[in-house]
Formats: sequence, C-alpha cells, structure tokens
Amino acid sequence: MELVVALGLIVFKVALLIAILLLLPLPLTWLERKIAGRMQQRMGPMRVGWHGLLQPVADGVKLLTKEDHIPAEADRFLFKLAPILALAPPFVVFVAVPFGESVSVLGTEITLYVSNMNVALLFVFAVIGIEVYGVIFGGWAANSKYAVLGSLRTCAQMISYEIPMGFAVIGVVMLAQSMSLLDIVRAQANVWNIVYQPVGFFVFFVAGLAESQRIPFDLAEAEGDLGAGFHTEYSGIRFAFFMVSEYAIMLLTSVLAVILFFGGWNGVLVPLPPLVWFVLKVAFFVYVFIWFRFTFPRYRYDQLMAIGWKVLLPLSMANIIITGVAFL
Amino acid sequence: MSRALDRIGTWIGWAFFADLANGLALTFGYMFSKSVTMQYPDKEKWLPYSRYRGHHFLKRDEEGEIKCVACELCARICPCYCIEVIPYEDEKGNRRPAKFEIDMARCLFCGLCEDACPADAIALGQQYEFSSFSSRDLVIGRDDLLGKPGKAMTGGGVVAARLNTEQDVLVETSEPQGYNWWRNIRRT
Repeated sequence: MELVVALGLIVFKVALLIAILLLLPLPLTWLERKIAGRMQQRMGPMRVGWHGLLQPVADGVKLLTKEDHIPAEADRFLFKLAPILALAPPFVVFVAVPFGESVSVLGTEITLYVSNMNVALLFVFAVIGIEVYGVIFGGWAANSKYAVLGSLRTCAQMISYEIPMGFAVIGVVMLAQSMSLLDIVRAQANVWNIVYQPVGFFVFFVAGLAESQRIPFDLAEAEGDLGAGFHTEYSGIRFAFFMVSEYAIMLLTSVLAVILFFGGWNGVLVPLPPLVWFVLKVAFFVYVFIWFRFTFPRYRYDQLMAIGWKVLLPLSMANIIITGVAFL
Repeated sequence: MSRALDRIGTWIGWAFFADLANGLALTFGYMFSKSVTMQYPDKEKWLPYSRYRGHHFLKRDEEGEIKCVACELCARICPCYCIEVIPYEDEKGNRRPAKFEIDMARCLFCGLCEDACPADAIALGQQYEFSSFSSRDLVIGRDDLLGKPGKAMTGGGVVAARLNTEQDVLVETSEPQGYNWWRNIRRT
C-alpha cells in the first residue's frame, strides 16, 4: 500500500512537472512579446483576448494546424527524431531539480522534488549535454545550408560553453561540500553563494545565456544571416517542439542560477513562503533573459569563441583556484 | 592628469561592463515609457490635416449647382487616366458633366486634377476609409462624389475610432502646433 502511494506520488509529481513545463512557454512567449513591445515603445500583442493574453493560444493553434513539412532531400528519420531529442533533455533535467523542502498535505509530508540525487549537479550537466544532439541532428537532417551552418555553430558554441559552465559551479560544490542541489541550497541558508562566488556566477550566467542560445549568443538562429538556423526547415508542431525546448532551457538556466547562487528558496527580509521566494527569483532571472534579448546585439562567431575560451574559461579556472586557496 | 584619470575610468568601466549596464538601464527606462502606437481600427484613428489628399469630392456653387464645367482638363492631366467626363448642356445652356466617374482603384492621389481644375470644382478630401472587396465598387460616379466629405477643417489629431468623420469634425488639440508625434519619444 505504501509503495503504491509512493509510486502514485512520483507519477503525480512527474505529470505535474511536465504539465507545468509544457504550459509555461505560453505565458512566457506572451510576456516576451509584451516586454519587447514596451521596450520598443510598442504595445505588443493587443487583439487576441485582453491585452493579447490569448495570443500564445492562437499561435499554438496555428502551429498545430500548419502543414508538417519535411523537405524532399531530408533524412526523414533524423528529421523526426531531432525535435524530440531537443525537447526531452530539459524535461528530464527537472527531475533532479528541487523546488523547496517539503509541504504537508493531509498529514503526509510531500517533498517538493521528484528525486534527491546525491550527484544531481552532475546529472543536470550530463543530461543538458545531450541537448546538442537535437540541434545537430535537426541541422544535418534538413539538408539545407542554413540549417547545417546554424547547427555547426550551435554545436561548437554549446560544447565550448559547457566547459566554463561546469567549472563555474565547482566553486559552489566546494562551498557546499556536496553535489546534491538540495544540500547546496541548505548550505546557503545564511549567506547566499553570490557573496562568495560573484565571478562564478558571472561565468555561469554568461555561459547559461550561451547554452540557452539567447541573445547576445543566439548564433544558432541568427535571423540576419541564417534564416532561422538549425530549425529553418521545421514547421508546425516540430517547430513548436524546438520553441518549447528553448523556453524550457531558459527556465532551467534561471532555476539553476537561483539554486546555485541565489539561495534557492531561502528568503531575505520579507518572510514569504519558500516556494513563493523561489518563483519570484526565477521570474526575475527569466525577466533578465528577456531584458538582455532586447538590449544587446549579437556577438560575432569569432567573438563568441574568444569569450568562451579566452575569458570565461580562465576566469572559471581562477575562480576554482582562489576558492580552493581560501578553503585551505 | 585628467586624461590619465579618464583612461583609468574607462578601464574601470570596461572591467565592470559599464557600457552594457548603460544599455540595460536605457531599455529598462524605455519599458516604462508610454507607447507611440495608435490602435487604429480598434480604438483610435487619425484625423488628417486639411492638406491631406484623400477621396475626391465635387463642389457645388452658392445656388447648389455643381461647379464642374466638364472641361475634361482633370481627365487630361490625370497620370493614370482614371477620370472619365462626358459633358452635356443643361436647361440654362451651361456645360455640365453628364457623367463624371473616378476609378479609385487606379487613382494615385497626386492631386493634379485639383490643380488643373479651372472652376475649382474637384478636390481631394479627408476621407481615407473606403476600401472595398470589389474593384468595381471603387468606380465612383458624379452624385456620390458630390456627397463625399470635404477637406478637414482642423486636423492632425487622434480621435476615437468610432467617431464619424464624414462631416467636418473639430478636434480639441491640447497642442496648438498640431499633434506632436515625438511627445513620447526621448531624444537626447
């Protein structure tokens, strides 16, 4: 009986997580277009629903009813596989991400995470590494020059930025003496890691921008020179998969930044429920992502590589060394 | 000395991404500024200036007689040959148009007909909302042209989209210089 309850709970949590992650891109696209509009002194979507609130639904219906076109020269199997490969990793990663300690419902303690892995951080980075397959398969299978160029660039970008990103969080792991995200948050109960690890956060955030392929590092879909990058040839629901995956990665980067550097669900000054604190912090980082997108231009490819290898990598290395020395 | 200080300041700014922060502050400030969008079909619409060249209209003289003398100069000067005039002689012996048709689908609103007219009979008015699903409906005859709204009396303002501007509408403008498009746009 207990086993059934526990299993049911896990299934329920996973279903809830998937539902939230699939539905969150709807308000996020609306928000992004609204913020973009405000920053450019426009109004953004206004006509579908109140202040365009139903615009994402209309977009979704449009994408679902569009022709699912596969180019004649495409590798059909890989072409169909790529969106799924791009979509799955961000969802899988959230299994290891804690959203709070626990809440008691009807007398039973329910933990706000699906699993408390002791190597959660490693798991996160390992699974996010798979994301690159979706990109390169999508670009290769479409058999189009824009898509191939975009996927090659993205592939190089994601691999080179994963390295500083991985190094940047080592400082955090050293401070918390654990790779479990839960323990990392608990270790920040008094002082957030951003105080000890400003450089680590900087490297992590910049690399996170690059990982989620957002401006200023959105070389994957540099509209000006590549059409839409690796998903140029995608249409309809498969294109929607790529969009959802992009937003999920943006969320994931925000969530990781909050957990690793901004104390997770630990609040300051204002006593709010932990989950509310967590959501507020994540919302702030999502806003920062959107804000960056409509402020900065895109980096050139060689600049991108120079930043990754010549700035971020040495910085993250130095961060590890300095943290280690301080520990001794 | 000050140059050296400047250089140090530049370096400090460079190290802490002062330029990026500047850009972020600018976009953040813009986020709370008013938008310049005119929500045209939904809420607001533009009331044109009196010099605006919209739909043609034909004028009447004091006795209510059509001013046009059917000289066909407008038809002759029209660069896209969209005016067709057929004259006749009325009871008083005046030359008047029996047929005066403008094909609005072909008109390019240059206003040359207005300039060419010796009797000051045709002009381009303020109406601009006359789109149609059929180009046949855009051929406008003499009697319709006599009923079209004239030049705007004032103009240069945003009015509610439901307001009927067929007749001469006076708009209260707070700015005496006319509508200032730049009012919400920051210029440094």
